[in-house]
Amino acid sequence: MNVLSEKIAFVTHPDYTKHYPTYDHPECPDRVTAIANLVENSALAAHVDTLHPEPAPIDQVTLVHSPAYLEKLKTACENGNFWFDYEDTYINAFSYEIALLSAGGCIEGARAVLEGPYERAFCSVRPPGHHAAGDLGMGFCLLNNIAITSRVAQRQWGLEKIMILDWDVHHGNGTQEIFEKDPSVFYVSIHEHPTFIFPGTGRRWEKGSGPGSGYSMNIPLPPGAGDSEYIHSMESLIIPAIKEFAPELILISAGFDAHNQDPLSDMTVTEEGFRKLTALTLEASRDYSSGKVVSILEGGYHLEALKASVRMHLEELIFFGKEEKCLSGEE
Amino acid sequence: MFVRRRMKRSVITVNKDNSLIEAKSKMVRHGVNQLPVMDGETIVGIISKRDIDSATMPLILLGEKEEGKIREILETTKVTKLMTKNPVVANVNDTLEDAVILIHDHRVGSLPVLTDEGKLAGIISKTDVLEAFIEALGVNEVSQRLEVVVDDKPGTLAEVINIIKRFKTNLISLMTTPHPLGGKRIVYLRVASLNVLPIKKALEEKGIEILDPRNAPG
Repeated sequence: MNVLSEKIAFVTHPDYTKHYPTYDHPECPDRVTAIANLVENSALAAHVDTLHPEPAPIDQVTLVHSPAYLEKLKTACENGNFWFDYEDTYINAFSYEIALLSAGGCIEGARAVLEGPYERAFCSVRPPGHHAAGDLGMGFCLLNNIAITSRVAQRQWGLEKIMILDWDVHHGNGTQEIFEKDPSVFYVSIHEHPTFIFPGTGRRWEKGSGPGSGYSMNIPLPPGAGDSEYIHSMESLIIPAIKEFAPELILISAGFDAHNQDPLSDMTVTEEGFRKLTALTLEASRDYSSGKVVSILEGGYHLEALKASVRMHLEELIFFGKEEKCLSGEE
Repeated sequence: MFVRRRMKRSVITVNKDNSLIEAKSKMVRHGVNQLPVMDGETIVGIISKRDIDSATMPLILLGEKEEGKIREILETTKVTKLMTKNPVVANVNDTLEDAVILIHDHRVGSLPVLTDEGKLAGIISKTDVLEAFIEALGVNEVSQRLEVVVDDKPGTLAEVINIIKRFKTNLISLMTTPHPLGGKRIVYLRVASLNVLPIKKALEEKGIEILDPRNAPG
């Protein structure tokens, strides 16, 4: 057994900026650049190993998306189309390969914790993934990174039970659809109520179907909800679900767009709130799972709020359960 | 939208000479709560599960002796005894709005739908109407809701739509209600986009109020 690293894996790639919009759009390359700068230029740098991934192999991506869908995406990018499936989901000539690199980043994060030596990983990737269904891109998402990672973790590392915790402010309709009939991947989402925000799914009675019945959980919160509502939901609903399901791995769809400054939502979570959500997840992972957590960037569109939230998230990923004190205010 | 598009065309009915027990078992078998009562081709009434249940004690609470008695009553009493005569009906040419108003005003669960000649052509239930409402709201389509306030005068909604048009976003649903403060209307839109930020900005630049769902009226 390998000795666990004191560091966490920080997965990112300079090429993530090559998927860019030609007009003002919230899902912009600056998001990952800002996070990379934050990590490089702060005391966090000493506590992470930065990993640059390879693009996800096609035979891993097809565990989730049909070959026809991949072909359609590839062709759309080659043809110079400006958007894909929905007008809000832009593409450029590089988007196909960068989407593969984004999925590859998340697989790399899973490899880093499942093969070691890391216990936790944060994947600062884009384009995001949780809205993408098996055959449909939408909501800025082309490939469903976290779904692909779950399938690869099952196929390649033999995992049986995976939990996906999605705290992006939007419901991860793609992820839910992919796993709703599957009891081996438990999808939990906490999000702004679908009456008020995209994509309009994730109502409280959506709990999976067929053999997957009971293995999806949706917690829609009213507009304006903040730290206390999120933490309460975490403690009263999500942690008991983690305890009951006892997953071998927890993957986080870590969107930071429930932040009170985010322009796309109506929620009021603070960066401290994201710290607490992270700590609660890690505590539950330690107590009821393997302690292994791979966190994958989804949304978060206010750059300063994103940086502040990711910083708190990373500090917890690095220091939770350790003697050393947190870093905030060190600089 | 017309009633004929939403009504169920295969209607389960009972004959006026049928017994209550026959009506009840038909309801159970077909999963419906109401049955039009027919005299040949003509509708003479409607009988609901509630009509039968409220006229009999719940069987489960009775001893064996009483249960047998109740069963005998159900077997020997005709549906005409408990049915509602002259039921509220819709016409095949009625609109869905007509059906909504009738169901609401008369507090009924469903409306038999008749042709001009008085022949039974279908039945439309509360559930059928709600299904149409769900569709009209656009809640089953990938979309995000926007609520804006416009002055209650001609042309203000066109201005909103024209601004949205610039963003090449499909409009999934559109409804308006009066604003509680008067003189204004609230417009509820569903657009097929996650990226509503530029739309919101453009609307606000034109002085159109966007409702914050955290403190929206109504």
